[in-house]
Amino acid sequence: MIKDITIGQYFPGESVIHRLDPRTKILLTIFYVVVLFAIQTMWGFLAAAVYMLSIILLSGISFKTVLKSVKPLAFIIVFTAVFNMIYAGGTPIFAEVNWLKWLTYDGVRRAAFMAIRIILLVMGTSFMTYTTSPIMLTGAMESLLSPLKLVKAPVHELSMMMTIALRFIPTLVDETDKIMNAQKARGADFETGNIFRRAKALIPILVPLLISAFRRAEELADAMECRCYNGGDGRTKYKIYHFALRDLWAMLVSLLLLAAVILLNVLL
Amino acid sequence: MIIETKNLTHKYSVGTPFEKVALDNINLQIEEGAYVGLIGHTGSGKSTLISHLNAILQPTEGQVLIDGTDLWACSKAERIATRFKVGLVFQYPEYQLFEETVYKDIAFGPKNMKLSDEEIERRVRSSLAFVGLKESLLEKSPFDLSGGQKRRVAIAGVMALEPKVLILDEPAAGLDPKGRDEILARLRDYHKETGSTVLLVSHSMEDIARNAQSAIVMEDGRLKMHAPVEEVFRHTDELTAMGLDVPQITRVFFSLKEKGYDVSTDIYTIEAAKREILSHLKGGKHRD
Repeated sequence: MIKDITIGQYFPGESVIHRLDPRTKILLTIFYVVVLFAIQTMWGFLAAAVYMLSIILLSGISFKTVLKSVKPLAFIIVFTAVFNMIYAGGTPIFAEVNWLKWLTYDGVRRAAFMAIRIILLVMGTSFMTYTTSPIMLTGAMESLLSPLKLVKAPVHELSMMMTIALRFIPTLVDETDKIMNAQKARGADFETGNIFRRAKALIPILVPLLISAFRRAEELADAMECRCYNGGDGRTKYKIYHFALRDLWAMLVSLLLLAAVILLNVLL
Repeated sequence: MIIETKNLTHKYSVGTPFEKVALDNINLQIEEGAYVGLIGHTGSGKSTLISHLNAILQPTEGQVLIDGTDLWACSKAERIATRFKVGLVFQYPEYQLFEETVYKDIAFGPKNMKLSDEEIERRVRSSLAFVGLKESLLEKSPFDLSGGQKRRVAIAGVMALEPKVLILDEPAAGLDPKGRDEILARLRDYHKETGSTVLLVSHSMEDIARNAQSAIVMEDGRLKMHAPVEEVFRHTDELTAMGLDVPQITRVFFSLKEKGYDVSTDIYTIEAAKREILSHLKGGKHRD
């Protein structure tokens, strides 16, 4: 149950998508999101869907996994779609039927747009984490944000914090599982009772978890200091990112998508 | 039989590429009042097995019977009740402490059993005595104690359930030799005084040899042996092949035998070794 969390999950692979420079992937993901919100026609969404589909095919990750990333958001998607449908206004589809007046052509259109937009959005952004290891992501973030160093922003420290936080998600999930089992073995009950009782039942998990998080933080800090870690100044990198030809291609294809979307917006 | 498993099989991540058989068709029977050692290499399924014995994990196939009740064919309430019959002490149990005082932490289990305050107090004091801690610690914060003391408080927290079966996963891991001997000695006394069943998971063959009456050997999720300790340690070669070992003193006697001395190789503890050597020396003198 608790182990099923898939936030930031990474599926190792050797595909073109995996080998893209992580910086390219971050930039193109942002670009893709912007494009999605610029789309105003169904054909535009088709273009974006084709773009997404080719990425999925190139990456070698199964459709089942991709669908799984959308599933937890099903409720939000339906919710947004329904609200857009109800409050859109415009010409009703069944003008004769009184109680169906709220159902309008505009409403259905907007609901469909919203649903497709969210699905494509979630697919695209989760694909970035699916094909990029957390370490590479934070490394790329650091590299992309490095101009901010000029205004004395602690870019390296921030990215190190992110790396550590990501690194400890599975560890803490594991730990939670262990503590839960240990308290269950002493008869703790997390499943029955009203909301207050359940909240109170969490104390035997949260206290040990918090304590162990602090303990780990302290141990890690000591270990880092023992290896002479003193921030980012003068630190060299194990992995140095290079823009390759494939990054150029990825950007060209993405620009093509933008061009197509703008063209379709203007023409239709 | 206090514990019985029938064709118990457990698979992790069923239906994914990561599917793994952790337990493979385990048929196990443990008699009431026995002191049983459970040995196996890391990843052999020991922890998975003990998690089944108080319904923390549900078997993929097969049955787990505690005191005659099938854990997954009874009501949920009965299943929860077996958690009080089978006390489970996980590895590094000190990380589960959370209360403000040692007293409250040990009382957590009995409180969940909805016992009266007097009964809870009696249990807290008696289990504290079993693990050999002073009553002056009761009002201290568990986080102010030393590592070894924390461990004992955590074990007392499970003993306070007064379970029919006490299962301990490596209770002595990470302790210094003195702390280790102390905890194991306390466990022996507990077993003798309460007459309850004890299942001790350990990597140390010496610990198993000194404490347990019988031993269960696991490898790759399968039950390889379940026999009296002497019987198990007779299979030196098999144990070594599994990446396990026999007690060091046993190996000494195997070497002595190889060198031509007429000694028994069923020696697992230092005490027994002393006796054997003395009787051998005396016997030798006699022949002269």
